Amino acid sequence: MTALPGLAGVASVKDAIRRRHGRRGGRAYVVVRWAAAAVFVALLCGLVASIAVDSSQALAHTGIGFIWSGTWNPAANQFGAGILVVGTIVTTFVAMVIVVPVGLGTAAFLSELAPRWLAGPLSTAIDLLAAVPSIVVGLWALLVLSPVFADHVEPFLKSVPLLQWFFHGPAYGPSIMLASVVLAVMTLPTVVALSRTALSGVALADREAAMALGATHWQVVREVVFPGARSGIAAALTLAVGRALGESIAVAMVIGNNPSVPHSLLAPGATLGSAIVNEFAEAAPGIGTSSVIALAAVLLMLTLAVNAGGQALLRRLGPGRLLRSERAERPARPGRAARREVPA
Amino acid sequence: MNGVVDPGRARRYEDGAGDDSEASWKAREHRRPIIQAAARRTLKRRRLAGRLFRALCVLCAAIALAPLVALVYYTAERGLPGLSFGFLIHAPVPEGIPGGGISTAIVGSAEIVGLALLMAIPVGLFTALFLHERRGRLAGAIRFGADLLTGVPSIVIGIFAYALLVRPLHHFSNLAAAFALGVLMLPIMIRADEEAMRTVAVDLWEAGMALGARRSRVARSVVLRGALPGLVSGNLLAVSRGVGETAPLLFTVAAPSFAMTLFIYTEGTQPFPTAQQMAWATAFVLLAFVLVLSGVARLVAWHLTRKAR
Repeated sequence: MTALPGLAGVASVKDAIRRRHGRRGGRAYVVVRWAAAAVFVALLCGLVASIAVDSSQALAHTGIGFIWSGTWNPAANQFGAGILVVGTIVTTFVAMVIVVPVGLGTAAFLSELAPRWLAGPLSTAIDLLAAVPSIVVGLWALLVLSPVFADHVEPFLKSVPLLQWFFHGPAYGPSIMLASVVLAVMTLPTVVALSRTALSGVALADREAAMALGATHWQVVREVVFPGARSGIAAALTLAVGRALGESIAVAMVIGNNPSVPHSLLAPGATLGSAIVNEFAEAAPGIGTSSVIALAAVLLMLTLAVNAGGQALLRRLGPGRLLRSERAERPARPGRAARREVPA
Repeated sequence: MNGVVDPGRARRYEDGAGDDSEASWKAREHRRPIIQAAARRTLKRRRLAGRLFRALCVLCAAIALAPLVALVYYTAERGLPGLSFGFLIHAPVPEGIPGGGISTAIVGSAEIVGLALLMAIPVGLFTALFLHERRGRLAGAIRFGADLLTGVPSIVIGIFAYALLVRPLHHFSNLAAAFALGVLMLPIMIRADEEAMRTVAVDLWEAGMALGARRSRVARSVVLRGALPGLVSGNLLAVSRGVGETAPLLFTVAAPSFAMTLFIYTEGTQPFPTAQQMAWATAFVLLAFVLVLSGVARLVAWHLTRKAR
């Protein structure tokens, strides 16, 4: 086949365009674009470096044992994050015990059961819950929920035979349990939204196959939909855990701020976030402040680890499996071939 | 795996499964009622489980909806009585003196968020353009960094702002608070902006370039123009997150009365009913603002998807 006339010119035209764009093709724009990306990377590195540098004094004073050493007593110059780490993990765990069944049930309802006219407004409402500022949740929990807890919920929890092992002691209201409920309220939208996306991403053909085998609706959900969305749900829960670990102000309002070993979920406790909120303003300059910043460093490591895990989970799935339905909704999205790298 | 795919059970119902000869069918004929009864029994059980599942799911959805309803209800019930025009335009007064408002807090919040937007929007937009036009390892790393930064607790960001802008300058400032909020909103903006830009077809970008336009011109007239509704809604959502943040302001703002969220925190944790009343009224203003903002953002996004169809 002979070469088409004129095709030979394409390369030179391309070259001309490239030269033109290289010389005056918005070089300022490219520089600004690079600068913005550089600023962002600098912020990221600066954040980690700043926290690391500022906490180094405390870590030098206490040693690496800061992370698990059990006493937090600034008055006696004793600093250790151990109890606060335990408090953070306990509140997050209890919150997850509440959120996982409720969140997954709601997601299943929205994606599998609810009629369209109900599913739309309901998911919007739950997304709006995500927009409610944490301080408003905290205020509501402190002034409305806490008296209800002290008078009704906590005495009830104490009276249930098997739960007594977890719930005993006086019912104040502000407690680890209340903080966990607050965290549950705040992480619920994350769990619902992400696991709903995962559930509705399971292929229709898979459901139809199960239906054709005679499965009831519930069996389809249990045997096909949930297993198919397993990794998406895992990612949703991981991200929710990350959020619960890092929440500080609402927790500080309702947990009672008592950095001691929690013996009951009704006792007041403290988390890393709540301790930072309460201690930072009063910390003595030098070692005191540095210790509080070291708490922030521990919190940062904890959340970074959890979030990196969640992102890795999401990433491993790829858009093909988790976001299958989302892709179908996006008509303007270009195909793979068209999305190859644009020469810079 | 009740009744769906259970080879063991299938074998129990029909021994000699797989033997399809005429004689075998006849021999098994008398068992048909037994098999059918068994199938009915499992179907009954399976349907019962299905009904239970449905009831539990409805219950879960109701439980999930309850906090939002309770939050809005109580904030309105306790906040509305304290709300008036004077409340919005007067400055706070010391405890014990009647009257007073939250004008300084509203102005302070607006100033902080405005400054934060001024810092975050350009960086976010250009970083998103960077991610949009370049693929590869660096872009992937930045995207991953943005996702990680989204998960960093806001209080840690507050301490970062304190270390960077408050301690060296020896005074608290709205600038430091705005910086903290900017850092907080930046990753949300980057990801939302990039998602919005992806909805613009690459063909249009290529067409723009083929016309000989500069990169900056294509970015402005094709990518940003096409992605505008998505950009607006994504950035509005980031704003609604930023306005409601308290923790980063704790260590950066000079006084609690200079930001709505901090004001709620200090007033709400006091034992006096008047202070708590102030907190509720402020919370109502904040909640209304944030919910309206997310509603607008959602409307814009909805408008976008409808137009795309």
